[in-house]
Amino acid sequence: MDRRLQNALKGLTACDVERRRRAMEPFVRATFESFIRYLYRYLGNETECEDVLEDVYADIWEDPGHLSNINSQRELLKTVYMYYMRKRLRQVYRRINRHLNLSQNNLTNLVAPELGVFEMMSQSELKQSLHRALGKLKSRERRAIELWMEGFSNRTVANELKTTVGAVKMLKFRAILKLKKLMQDSYQAE
Amino acid sequence: MSDTKREIQELLVDYAGALRDGCIPSFLKSLTREEGKLIASSEQFWDATEIVRVLNGVGFADKAVTADVGLFMSRVDANIVSRLKKARASSQRKRPSRLTSQKRSGRSTKSASKTENTEKQI
Repeated sequence: MDRRLQNALKGLTACDVERRRRAMEPFVRATFESFIRYLYRYLGNETECEDVLEDVYADIWEDPGHLSNINSQRELLKTVYMYYMRKRLRQVYRRINRHLNLSQNNLTNLVAPELGVFEMMSQSELKQSLHRALGKLKSRERRAIELWMEGFSNRTVANELKTTVGAVKMLKFRAILKLKKLMQDSYQAE
Repeated sequence: MSDTKREIQELLVDYAGALRDGCIPSFLKSLTREEGKLIASSEQFWDATEIVRVLNGVGFADKAVTADVGLFMSRVDANIVSRLKKARASSQRKRPSRLTSQKRSGRSTKSASKTENTEKQI
């Protein structure tokens, strides 16, 4: 782990409130990029990511107890997600929950799920794994996913593949399930 | 999003679209009771959401325009200062009430002044 981050973590776990406050700056600078990218997976919205992350950092300052024995970047991300981010992610949609046709449990699983295999992989590991898995899909399935990842609508993807919107949705659904299996298999093989 | 009852693959694609566009609340609000039940009972849907989040992270997180760290740091610091103020205000509010309750409970003035002395030292 980066020495700057290690020092910041030491300062964060100090008893003195002011020392913790001073340690926040190097900690934020060292982790901001990775934390915001991680949150983006769940929210897909920069403004919400920043709002949630602001509260996450303030929560860490207030109660840094869970960060006392962190030895790696991955462990840090895992701990921060488990103890700080999940709580805040749940709160984002709690206020609209009473008007939804989804149970509280399902809503929680959708917006702030338990940690899975992919949740713990770094951005570069995920990119590699996804790239390998995409290469094993049929060309139409791969094209549908690639176009979608470039930001195109279902209608545009359908026009590109010369098919209907309904068929594109089915194609993407199957491709995503295949991707899950392929990525899981390759993770287990490693 | 269509207003007829959607199949599980349509729900997943709509969820993926909502996540990509950053409008999860509108997807959640669009769900009917039947669709909610369908989602709850579909293992495939939950399997696929994991990959949808991966795709969102890999495909779009790098393109996201985030704030400057320095500016963001000032927001975090303001949040911390506001929490500090709240904590101080609540501890100040607690002190006088403890003193008055001690007086009400019929303790001597001597013990009350002792408490005051201790608090000054802190």
